[in-house]
Amino acid sequence: MLKPVAYSVELTIPDNEAYTTLVTLVRLGIVCRKLERSEVWVFDVEEARADDLEAQIRSIETIFNPNKHVLFALGSPRPRPGEVWVGERDEDAGQPRPAALREVRLAGRTLEGVFGYRRYKGWRLWESEGEVASQEVIANAAETLLCNPAFQVIIT
Amino acid sequence: MLGVRPCWTFMKISAARGHRAARVAVPIFPGSNSEEETVRACLAVGLHATLVHWSAGPAALRGYDAYVLPGGFAYEDRIRAGAIAAHDAMMDAVVAAAQRGVLVLGICNGAQILVEAGLVPGTGPARRPTAAFAPNKPGGRFVCRHVYVKLSVPPDRCAITTNLRAEEIIPMWAAHGEGRLAASRHELGRLHRSGHIAFRYCDRFGNFTPEATPNGSPFGAAALTNKDGNVLAIMPHAERDAWTYQQRDGAVRLDARGDAAKMLAPAGGIRLFAGLARALGVKK
Repeated sequence: MLKPVAYSVELTIPDNEAYTTLVTLVRLGIVCRKLERSEVWVFDVEEARADDLEAQIRSIETIFNPNKHVLFALGSPRPRPGEVWVGERDEDAGQPRPAALREVRLAGRTLEGVFGYRRYKGWRLWESEGEVASQEVIANAAETLLCNPAFQVIIT
Repeated sequence: MLGVRPCWTFMKISAARGHRAARVAVPIFPGSNSEEETVRACLAVGLHATLVHWSAGPAALRGYDAYVLPGGFAYEDRIRAGAIAAHDAMMDAVVAAAQRGVLVLGICNGAQILVEAGLVPGTGPARRPTAAFAPNKPGGRFVCRHVYVKLSVPPDRCAITTNLRAEEIIPMWAAHGEGRLAASRHELGRLHRSGHIAFRYCDRFGNFTPEATPNGSPFGAAALTNKDGNVLAIMPHAERDAWTYQQRDGAVRLDARGDAAKMLAPAGGIRLFAGLARALGVKK
């Protein structure tokens, strides 16, 4: 039985990309006071192996570097309030998955019990301190800047 | 083929300039890195090229006869390649000029900026991209390799290519991680049918083969032009294959060996800049 498990990897050091994006969104008229960026990984993992997955992810330095990242296991594989995930459109969606594919290689490592993964860039917006952005603001930010629909999709 | 027509709007602008030297702006954003080579190629074909630093402000970009956006990694490719620069205030002047019919050439990251700004293929509103130069396939790896591209539209489809022969092959260098043309299936078909794909990757003999395409781009697309043909976004670097000493073809270099003037002479990719100069009325 497969189970989707999501992790958010966030920077603990200043995030220049988030800052530039915030400045650009404000310039474009989007009501946004604060912006956080994260790398979101959603894995399809065998239920019996799900508990081991976080330790495997934490050991891959190209995903998680303890000197500059924190890693959160997300309760559900959906964006949090005020958040939008942007990922590449899966052009192979709907194609039958090879039966022989029983494991996934990521960053040169084999992830045991993992049958697939999706990677997103997570953007979390706040309209004011303590108030996450509304769906309308998020949709506007995604359409204006955060997502190029020619090859990307959003999940809100 | 639909949408194939000479660039009359641009020709009127060019004629109105009279005999004044054609002035070309090369805007540089934080992270641009090919601006010197680009200016040098422009100067070699008789264009009066000027670097315009992003800190000069959008007003500094007004009044030019053409714009050439150089390669690099503008704003560190934050969000996506070209995305931040496309929305930078500096691009306001370029977008407005392009919409008036002024010539705009974007190379590599410059091409990515033009796509993100919606100027090419120009099938939607400005700043609403309908296509992308997306991560290469397979693997999303950066490629740096010598390529050939073939003009795949009639020369007068795009103002910058009017100087070229039909199906002319030009050597260039591909150096990008995001150069694969991406769009919806419907849009890709439209770009192909309507003559938006100005150049396609080919081998040195002009054959379109999967191996000749370095990034998995559909149709081997290497460059896009807009409906009016005054904007050209090309991924490989013509300015890095613009002199004899840069030519991949050993016979060309061998012929120039021992002759500094020959070795430093314009060649190969300079043809694209010559096309720009010709379109701007430079006789050289």
